Amino acid sequence: MNNLEFRLRTFVKYKDLLLELIKRDIKLKYRRSFLGYVWSVLNPLLIMIVLTVVFSSMFKKNIENYPIYLLCGRTLFEFMKTGTMNGLKSVTANAALMKKTYIPKYIFTVAKVSSIFVDTIFSFGAFFIVMIATRTPFHWQLLYLPVILVQLYIFTLGVSFWLAEMNVFFRDIEYIYHAICTAWMYLSALFYPIERLPVALQVFVKVFNPMYYYIFQFRDIALHGRMPGPRLMIGGWIWAFLLLAIGLFMFQKNKNRFVLFL
Amino acid sequence: MANIIDVDHLSIRFNLGNIKVDNLKEYTIKRLKHELTFQEFLALKDVDLHVQKGESWGLIGTNGSGKSTLLKAITGILQPYKGTVKVRGQIAPMIELGAGFDQEMTARENIFLNGSVLGHSRKFMEEHFDEIVEFAELENFLNSPIKNYSSGMKARLGFSVATMVDPDILICDEVLAVGDANFRKRCNERMRHMLSGGTTLLYVSHDIESVKNLCDHVLWLEHGEVLMEGDPDTVCDAYMHRPDRVYSYSRKLEEDRALLEQGKRVDYLVVGAGLFGSIFAREARLAGKSVAVIDQRDHIGGNVYTEKINGINVHKYGAHIFHTSNTRVWKYMNRLSPFNQYVNSPVARYKDELYNLPFNMNTFSKMWGVTTPDEAKAKIQSQIDELGIGEPQNLEEQALSLVGRDVYEKLVKDYTEKQWGRDCRELPAFIIRRLPLRFTYDNNYFTDTYQGIPTAGYTAIMQKLLSGVPVLLNMPWQEYKKRYPDSYGKVIFTGPIDEYFDYRLGKLQYRTVRFETQVLETDNYQGNAVVNYTGHEVPWTRIIEHKWFQFGKDASGNEIPGTVISKEFSEEWKDGMEPYYPVNDEANTELYQKYVELAKQEKNVIFGGRLGTYRYYNMDQVVDAAMKLCTKELGRKFRAKK
Repeated sequence: MNNLEFRLRTFVKYKDLLLELIKRDIKLKYRRSFLGYVWSVLNPLLIMIVLTVVFSSMFKKNIENYPIYLLCGRTLFEFMKTGTMNGLKSVTANAALMKKTYIPKYIFTVAKVSSIFVDTIFSFGAFFIVMIATRTPFHWQLLYLPVILVQLYIFTLGVSFWLAEMNVFFRDIEYIYHAICTAWMYLSALFYPIERLPVALQVFVKVFNPMYYYIFQFRDIALHGRMPGPRLMIGGWIWAFLLLAIGLFMFQKNKNRFVLFL
Repeated sequence: MANIIDVDHLSIRFNLGNIKVDNLKEYTIKRLKHELTFQEFLALKDVDLHVQKGESWGLIGTNGSGKSTLLKAITGILQPYKGTVKVRGQIAPMIELGAGFDQEMTARENIFLNGSVLGHSRKFMEEHFDEIVEFAELENFLNSPIKNYSSGMKARLGFSVATMVDPDILICDEVLAVGDANFRKRCNERMRHMLSGGTTLLYVSHDIESVKNLCDHVLWLEHGEVLMEGDPDTVCDAYMHRPDRVYSYSRKLEEDRALLEQGKRVDYLVVGAGLFGSIFAREARLAGKSVAVIDQRDHIGGNVYTEKINGINVHKYGAHIFHTSNTRVWKYMNRLSPFNQYVNSPVARYKDELYNLPFNMNTFSKMWGVTTPDEAKAKIQSQIDELGIGEPQNLEEQALSLVGRDVYEKLVKDYTEKQWGRDCRELPAFIIRRLPLRFTYDNNYFTDTYQGIPTAGYTAIMQKLLSGVPVLLNMPWQEYKKRYPDSYGKVIFTGPIDEYFDYRLGKLQYRTVRFETQVLETDNYQGNAVVNYTGHEVPWTRIIEHKWFQFGKDASGNEIPGTVISKEFSEEWKDGMEPYYPVNDEANTELYQKYVELAKQEKNVIFGGRLGTYRYYNMDQVVDAAMKLCTKELGRKFRAKK
C-alpha cells in the first residue's frame, strides 16, 4: 500500500470524526444562548454599525459605501484571524485525546478551521443585509465570491498548521501571534483607504500581505462590480498554496514528536 | 499463522531535556547554556513482543516501567525510535475511558463523538446506538450534559462505546478501576465474551489477581526492559516476590524509589513494617525526619496484615482483635481508622459439646446443669479438693488445682497438648499461672474498656501509617545493610534481636502457628469468628471464620456470600519458620538478657516490637510501646483526652 493511498484511507476512515468535531464546535458555540445561531449574523452587524459610526466621518470623503468597504475587509480578516487563533490551539487543546488513542492529528486543525469557516458563511448573512440596506447593487461578479473563500480557507488552514505545530513546542506562540495579528490588521486597510499609507508601506502591503489579495478581490466584486485583476487572482492562489505547503511540511515533520511535548 | 502483533527490538526515546521546556525564554537560555537535548531517556529498550490471534497478554511492572508506553506504541500514538511495530487488525484502545468526551455536550452527542474518535462511521454508530445505551444503563440521562455525570457513569458509557464492536485487538490500561462492583463484573463478562470470540487482549493492571484471571500470557517490564515473559502464575509470582519491591502509598513513588534504590541517607531506617515500626515511621515523618522502612516479607503490616478475599478481611497471621484499656492508645488507633463493635466471645468445641469461653456461668451451667454461682463454685471446689494436689509439679497438676477435673479434661488438657506438642504432665507448671474463672454470665473474653476491629481491615491502618513513607519490601536487613552501608542515621530494629547480632550468642526459641486457609461456598461455617477445638479428635487448635469479625457484612453493609476459614495448627518452631510467640522459660530469658547487654553497646540502634524485645505483646501494648518511643526519641506528644 503506498503512502498516499494509506493517507487517503485514513482520511476516509476519520471523515466522520471531522464532521462530528465541526458539529461539536458549532453546536457548543451558541449553546445556552437565547438567540443562538442568529448571533453569527447579528454580531458582525453590530460591530459593523459601531465601526461605521466611529470611522465613517473620518473617511467619508475618500470611500464611498463605507459600510460595505468595511464589511468586505472585516469579514474576511475576522475569519482568518479567528481561524488561525483557534487553529493554533487545536493540537494542544486535544492533548488528552492524542495521548490516549491514535487519531491523525491534522484532523483537529482542519476541524477547527472548518467550523470557523462555517460560522463565517453564516456571517455573510450580515453582509447581504447591509448590501440591501445600503442599496448596493448585486453585481453578477459576486458569484466569484466562493473562489475567494476557498483561497482564504486554504491559506488559513496552512497558517494554522504551522502555528499549531509551533505551539506544541513553544506555548509563547499564542501571545506573539496575538500581537502579530493586531499589526497585521492595521496593515490590511480594513477601515481606511489603502492610499492613506506611505507609498513604501503601500508597496510592501500590496506584495507581501496575503490578506490584501483576498480583501481587494472581494472589494472588486462587491463594490466595483468588476472581476479582480490577474495579479490579485493568481497571487491569492499562490499565497494559499504556499502557506499550505509550508504548514503541512512543518506539521508532518514534527507530528510524531507532538505526543512527547503535550 | 502470522502474529497479530509483532514488536521487534522496539526502543522509545523521550527527550528529558526538552520535555519541560515549552516556552521560548527557557529554550533560549538552555540553548545558550548548551543544556538542551543532553538527557535522553529510553522508556523502552529493545522490547520484543509477539502476540498471536486470540491470546490475552497481561503487562505488569511497577509504575514507570514502560507498560503504558508499550501500549501507546502498539496503538500508534508513539512512534518507535528504533525497531518496528506491526499490527494486523483493528485496535479498540481503552487507555482511558471516555477520553474523547466533551463535558458540555450531552451523552447522546458524546456517543457519536466518541465513536468517531475510535474510527467508527456515523451510520455504524446510529445502528448500534441503542445497544450502547442499553449496556451503559443510561437511558434516562441521554440528554443531560456529560459534565453532570459521575465518574462511574462516564466509565460505563466509555466502556460501552469502546467495546461495541468485537475488535481484533482490545487494549485495556487500568480502566476498570472505576465503577461499582456490578459494572466491573459486567465488564469482565464482556471481556471474556470477546476473548472467547477470538479477540486479542492486551491488559495492563496492578491488580495481579485480575491479570491471573484474564490473561494466558504475562510480560513483566521493568525500567523499559522485558524482565520475564511466560505463563501468568510463574511471572506473577516472581513479580510479587521480586527483590527490593518498592511499595509506597505516597504520590511521589518515583522519588521514593530513587531514595531507596540509591541508598540515600535517611534519618531513621525502620526494619520491619509491622505495627511498631509503622507507627514510628509515621511519627518520624510527622516530626519532619526522613524515614524509610524495609521489610523482608512481600507485604506491609507484619502479623496484623489482613488480605481481602471476596470482601472479607482475612487475618493472615491469626485472629487479631484489638482491645485495650489505655485511652491514649485507643484514641490513637481510632484516628487511623474507625473500629467496629466486635466483642470476642469464643466458643470451645470438645467432641460434639460446645461451651462458651472464657470459663463462665454459661460454661458451667452447660457442663453440670448448675444454676447459681454458688453451686458452680462448690462444684469446682469439690473437684479440686478431691484431687488433693499440694505443690503442682507439672502443668496438669497446676491446671487441675485451679479448675478441677471436668473443666481441665474437656477444655484445657488436649488443647494445651496440641499447643505445645507435649503431654501436659511433661510441661512445666509455670506456663499456666492462672486460669480465670468467672461466676457471671459474661462471654466477653477480654476485660478491657475498649474492643473492636478496624472496619476496613488492619491493612488499611498500616497503609495509613505508612502513607508518605517509602517502603522496600522483600528486603532482608542483612542484605540492605550490605548494599547501602551508610544510608541511615538511626535504625529502629523490630526483627528478632538475635538475628541482628547474627545469632552470635545462640538462637532464641519461639512457638509458632501455621494456618490453612480455605474459601468455602457455604455462607456460615461455624456461626462464630473463633471456635477453639479442645479435643484430640482434630489436629487443629482453632478455626477462625473471618467474616464474623465484620458481622458477615462487606464495606457497604451487604451480606457477604461464601466464607473464608483458617485452621490454626501449633507447630514446633524450626529455622526459617515465622516466629510467633517467644518462649519465656529461664534459658531463653537468660539468653535474651545477654543480647540486651549487647544491644546497649549499639549506639544507633533501637530495638522494639514483639521480636525486637522478645516479648509477648498484645497489639495495644505494641502501640503503647511505640508511642512511648516516639515521645522519647522524636518528642512527639500524644494527648490521652480530646
